[in-house]
Amino acid sequence: MSILVAAFGFGLVSASVIALAAVGFTMQFGITNMINLAYGEVMIASAYVAYYVDQRGVSIWIAMLIGAAFGAVFSFLINRLIYAPFQRKGTSLLGMVIVSLAVSLMIANIMLPIVGYFPVSYNERFSTLLRFGAIALTVNQIAIFALAGAIMVAIHALLRYTRLGKAMRATAANPTLARNCGIPTQRVIDAVWLITGALCGLAGVVAALDSDSFTISSGAGFLITALAAAVLGGAGQPYGAMIGAVVIGLITEMSAAVWSPDYKQVVAFAILVVVMVLRPQGLLAKRGAAAAAG
Amino acid sequence: MLVATDVHRHFEGMHAVDGVSLEVPRGQITGLIGPNGAGKSTFMAVLAGTMPATKGTVVFDGRDVTRIPAYRRARMGLVRTFQLSSEFARLTVLENLLVAAPRHRGESLLGALLGPGYWLADERRIVGEARRLLKRFGMSAKESDYAGNMSGGQKRLIEIMRALMLHPRCLLLDEPMSGVHPRVADEIQGYLQDLRRDGLTILMVEHELHFVEQLCDSVFVMAQGKLIGSGTMATLRRQQEIVDAYLVG
Amino acid sequence: MNTYYAANLLIFAGVDIIACIALNLQFGVSGIVNFAFIVFQAAGAYTAAVLSMPPDTAADYSFQIYFGGFNLPFPIPWIGGAVAGALLAVPIGLIVLRNLRSDYQAIALLVTSIIANTVINNARPWLNGAAGLALVPRPLNPIEPVPDSYLYFYIGLTAVCVALVWFIAARIVNSPFGRTLRAMRDQELAATALGKNPVALKMTMFIVGGAIAGLSGAILVGFLTFWAPSTWLYPETVILFAAVIVGGRGNNLGAVLGALLVPVGLEEVTRLLNNYVNIGPPNFIPAMEWVLIGLFILGFLWFRPEGVRPEGHKVFPEGFESGVRVLGDRD
Repeated sequence: MSILVAAFGFGLVSASVIALAAVGFTMQFGITNMINLAYGEVMIASAYVAYYVDQRGVSIWIAMLIGAAFGAVFSFLINRLIYAPFQRKGTSLLGMVIVSLAVSLMIANIMLPIVGYFPVSYNERFSTLLRFGAIALTVNQIAIFALAGAIMVAIHALLRYTRLGKAMRATAANPTLARNCGIPTQRVIDAVWLITGALCGLAGVVAALDSDSFTISSGAGFLITALAAAVLGGAGQPYGAMIGAVVIGLITEMSAAVWSPDYKQVVAFAILVVVMVLRPQGLLAKRGAAAAAG
Repeated sequence: MLVATDVHRHFEGMHAVDGVSLEVPRGQITGLIGPNGAGKSTFMAVLAGTMPATKGTVVFDGRDVTRIPAYRRARMGLVRTFQLSSEFARLTVLENLLVAAPRHRGESLLGALLGPGYWLADERRIVGEARRLLKRFGMSAKESDYAGNMSGGQKRLIEIMRALMLHPRCLLLDEPMSGVHPRVADEIQGYLQDLRRDGLTILMVEHELHFVEQLCDSVFVMAQGKLIGSGTMATLRRQQEIVDAYLVG
Repeated sequence: MNTYYAANLLIFAGVDIIACIALNLQFGVSGIVNFAFIVFQAAGAYTAAVLSMPPDTAADYSFQIYFGGFNLPFPIPWIGGAVAGALLAVPIGLIVLRNLRSDYQAIALLVTSIIANTVINNARPWLNGAAGLALVPRPLNPIEPVPDSYLYFYIGLTAVCVALVWFIAARIVNSPFGRTLRAMRDQELAATALGKNPVALKMTMFIVGGAIAGLSGAILVGFLTFWAPSTWLYPETVILFAAVIVGGRGNNLGAVLGALLVPVGLEEVTRLLNNYVNIGPPNFIPAMEWVLIGLFILGFLWFRPEGVRPEGHKVFPEGFESGVRVLGDRD
């Protein structure tokens, strides 16, 4: 029983990491209609930037900020230089998916010769272990959990209470109508990419910190988990992504405790498959997933 | 011919169609009019089966088709056209019609694998039929052009001809005159009158009220998802609520 | 040029052509964005391997763990591969080909591909996990190392399969069935309103494409004698999509051109470069190959989304009148 409780603790941390990534990913989709398959690569690129900073003796927390800033700028540029022009050209939704896949391949393979194949880790990856009853977490993990919680609250506040947040929600619901109501959709979209890019970068650093080590190929794994949580919660729904992250985080960790850690990813995917069969539009989605009918 | 009973269509908390019951009489042209957003196209979609009804029934020629998918209704003879151009742009005009032909031997995987020897006879037959239709509607010259390159009026004609290739018994037309040159619209009007003479039942959503007046034997009026009137155009014009709905909606 | 190199080139070309034709049938003609395509090829390869290998208790094979091992002779493993591809299409198709928005469908298939790879990778007792299957017997069990004559035989065998697949695909594309598929691809709703059942049509082509993909896997594994999860990661599907788009979707010749240009052409160019030029750190060239593929895809999607050989204009009625075999232009 205490194993399960301990696993619950790990699950919360896992959920935190996934939530940061998934919320950013799903907001990109919800507001700009872009299934950004390069998301994982931006995560890992930010993780590497933070790594180089970390190697120079800067504190990991500053490195995190730098990673987030890098993610923001990088994502913003990818959209401005590649995604937006293709979208303006009238490329189909599927074409855009292929574009993002191409971009992800290019990013990964441009990084490879620069950073090399060998796994790297942050200097601060080991930290003190604290115990709360059956739950044993390191300081890092607790910090990650707290950070993710704070960011989720910030996102909620952004969406609910700020003008930008309301503009984002309006653009997500109906871009044409939003534009006609005087919302500067171009600037909203720029803001979305900066904010979600920052989330992406932060998520990358956090995910890398929570692992023993990471390489370029970890990017695909990051993308997949974020994708799974986002799809689970209903694509385009930030709160859904949070719920999806919690579900996947908790269930994978707890089942790893009961069965075997090797199957963690398998369990995550099994959940996804079940949801896709039963409710393909995700847990919270209201519309948009079903094909348009006459 | 076609009976809708208490049809509802809700989505996202909106009642696009809110309890509409009507009957489309056999062999007549019936109009469905109403202001924008009244739910006419949605109602047509439910009748045709391209959208499911949230509640209510649709009975076609005595058979309850409420649960039957659109493609089966089409095979039964209930065919619809679309408000927005939906021609197969990358197929030629002739091919657009050929696609519609039912019961073609070459149209199954097995038929395709068996080769032209198996299906050429059927193909010849439907090409002949399609060409006759093209001639009747005056588009023979365009048969090898890409449908995507046709004008708005020509695309409308393609949609009607395509529907006719299925030998429908009831045709649901969604704004057949929309975006069409007035002269072509007159031609379409003529064709529709010919079709009625041939015994086809037609339900037509249309905004151009003078066409509705000239073509339709009777008219239903919808507003905000509900049916607010029926009868001939003359009687409807006298009803103040109808006039109001049109001015307001 | 030694025979093995030529055989490698030709057999890979043949397999890529078969795969591109299958993907073109699914994507170019029927509009199914099958981002899990590589899984079907993998299913065919694994099935052919497991059917032709002896059980894992046998002498030389005990370092691997896998289910099956029926030691069946050629051509049963190849037929099995195709059947496996077809069978796999059924459950995947039922889940995914329902009324989902097309980009959701694509993502669902992509995720399926990743799930499959991860599961096989981790589940060691099934198909030997990450290490994969090795020492897969070649068709007709020649003595190793194989003589040149066997390589010629294999090339010929591949060519026969290419011809067979081409024939099937041509028959499908140049038929009223193909016409209906293209109509459904262009305007699914209108096709539905005209009496076509889109789910049945898509399912049919998913299965047909799956079978052909499975065959391509069987051919490849018989030559490589080796197959592991690393052989079929999801970017492989991207390469094939790039090939179909670059070559021109919707027609078989375009698929062939794409196969020759993208997987074969680019890989050969980079292999040659790798042999003669030494730029940068090791593995720089293969990484650049992927960058090139990415740029290629972007370039084509931007400048020529219809591909090198776009869907041809139909000659239909004229060819038909003169009694000449119709629809030749589609090839």
